[in-house]
Amino acid sequence: MGAARINRRTLLGFAAAVGAAGVTGCGNSLGGATANAAGGATIKIGLVIPQSGVYAPLGEDIRRGWELWLARNGGKLGGLRAVTVVADEGEGPQTGVPAVQQLLQRDQVDVLVGIVNSATALGVRDLVGGVRKLLLIANAGAGEITGSGRSPYIWRTSFTNAQVAAAMGRHLAGTGLRRAYAIAPDYVAGAEAIAGFSQAFRAGGGTIAGESRPPFGKTQDYQPFLSRIQSSGAQGTFCFFGGAESVAFVKQYAQFGLSGRMPLYASGFLVEGGVLAAQGDAAVGVLSTLHYTAELDNPANVAFRTAYRAAYQVAPTVYAVQAWDAAAVLSRALEKTGGARDGDSLARAVEGPADSPRGPWTFAGQSPRQSFYLRRVESRGGELVNTVVSDLGPLDAEA
Amino acid sequence: MAGADVAATAVLNGLAVGLLLFLTAAGLSLIFGMMDVLNLAHGSLFLAGAYLAWWVGGDRQTWPSLAAAAGAAVLVGILGGAVLALLAAPLARRSHLEQALLTLGVALIAGDLFSALFGDDVRATVPPPGLDGTITVAGWTYPRYRLVLVVVGAVLAAAVYWTVERTLLGALFRATVADRDMVAAIGMDPRRARVAAFALGAVLATLAGLLGAPIYHARPGLDLTILVLALVVVVVGGLGTVRGPLLAALLFGQVESVGQAVLPEFASFLLFGALAAVLVVRPRGLFGAATAGAAR
Repeated sequence: MGAARINRRTLLGFAAAVGAAGVTGCGNSLGGATANAAGGATIKIGLVIPQSGVYAPLGEDIRRGWELWLARNGGKLGGLRAVTVVADEGEGPQTGVPAVQQLLQRDQVDVLVGIVNSATALGVRDLVGGVRKLLLIANAGAGEITGSGRSPYIWRTSFTNAQVAAAMGRHLAGTGLRRAYAIAPDYVAGAEAIAGFSQAFRAGGGTIAGESRPPFGKTQDYQPFLSRIQSSGAQGTFCFFGGAESVAFVKQYAQFGLSGRMPLYASGFLVEGGVLAAQGDAAVGVLSTLHYTAELDNPANVAFRTAYRAAYQVAPTVYAVQAWDAAAVLSRALEKTGGARDGDSLARAVEGPADSPRGPWTFAGQSPRQSFYLRRVESRGGELVNTVVSDLGPLDAEA
Repeated sequence: MAGADVAATAVLNGLAVGLLLFLTAAGLSLIFGMMDVLNLAHGSLFLAGAYLAWWVGGDRQTWPSLAAAAGAAVLVGILGGAVLALLAAPLARRSHLEQALLTLGVALIAGDLFSALFGDDVRATVPPPGLDGTITVAGWTYPRYRLVLVVVGAVLAAAVYWTVERTLLGALFRATVADRDMVAAIGMDPRRARVAAFALGAVLATLAGLLGAPIYHARPGLDLTILVLALVVVVVGGLGTVRGPLLAALLFGQVESVGQAVLPEFASFLLFGALAAVLVVRPRGLFGAATAGAAR
């Protein structure tokens, strides 16, 4: 009984602390650059990324993109010396929300950047709103984050799940493909991807021959689903998977002999970054849509790719670009506010960068309106890359 | 695809997955039955085997690399089993909860070590030449490696079954499960039997991970996934037997593959639905033996 009381009291204290943080506004939230011992003004950024668990590889890419931008820009954001505090987001809101709380309360950061998991992003909405700090989402793709119940302080430099999938739906319908099968894991992002794809595909005159939602995080073996895809009479398969599941799915799709008969189309995350090397030859020929590929040849990306390779000895990924752009957006906003770092001033000042490696993009609502690219996995010199097949043109988040 | 093809694919797949699951779960059942130790680090041994396959063979295994990895897997299994047996020895007379906490701690440390050594990316590996690729019979396509897995898994499972049911060592195992004090009274040292059981169980789990690497892909978190599946198989099969987990693993393999093909909308619930159904009918599992703990 005593333990329960202590727990409840701790919990109450916790809630009170959160509430108080909202009331007192956590120190000086209005304008004014803080001077420090070294002279010159600094700004404190909280970088929230997964450093453990299944999303750790994405977190690593985000950190690299962020640090590379700072390294290439004298360590300054909008003329202020940037101090980055990294917190581990972990696998979900149970670790991600406390990480954000700690950055806001203990570290007193001015701005938050990062967040891979959508549940975490939604879980910190009120925390961020309470202290009126800007949060730039560098990955999480749930539509709801910037949807109707959005916080004015949460902006995203990434994508929405539906937007990426809709780009593929629109494209496939345009190529004259009539019947497609849709498969994605049974959780929010998977549902959004299937919905985004189906809507766009049907709008272009296509038919969904069937859809499957394998249990998320519990499916090791996709054979039962592959059998159903094969007997559905579809001409191609659209899928959305990430991480270990994308490796298992792509490999088994090839092993069970489907890739020869029905082309695999996907949201680009399926074949982006570390998972592509693990998929190996099984991934060759996979067509995907994404707002970036390391193979883009615009001048901004050539410079970015070269610098990234020099620093980390690997090709950049979409996750690194999203963080790179977050730094660029924040820097530009700080220039416009004259160094004011409160959420209200910054939220008024954010705008899409003209020189992003993914090509110029703008904010439509609080998510990017950006171009999507059709990419094909090809083997070049023993390394797998996503070559650019075509530019599919821009798309809004509310695709 | 005709119905026969779908059925053949599903049944074969269920066999391949079920046999892998049995090799993992057999050790768990033996260790629990023999030593009365609940080993939650069992999945870590499986993952160690999977990482070994990738570490020795890289993205594409060769026959020599597979042989070397198999040898290493046996060594790692024996070592891992011995270390776990030593760690668990002081807790032999304590509650299962304490053993579970100890071995879970070992599993967490092992997981972090794997992350430090091999990174957090998925480490996939392709079986050696001749075992990869697919076979096609009259338009029906099936991955060759899974067929091999069915055969190898069946041979290993038969060997384990024969060892436990038909040899003197197996008799000693079973006697220790039934009545530890009586085994000591007739002049056998039950401690040696226990260490042997731990080592055998650990080697089986590591080998299962090595064999399963091309299908499951070594990655953080796989250890706990496999552990849960193995625990379910042991609970359904009964503790301290080999026959029970064998049947339970084969049953679950089929439930997963055939069940998902027939009842896709219940995919998430099939496994644990089957578990609940068995436990309602047979609360002690299919072949539940009284464990050594009950004889104390």
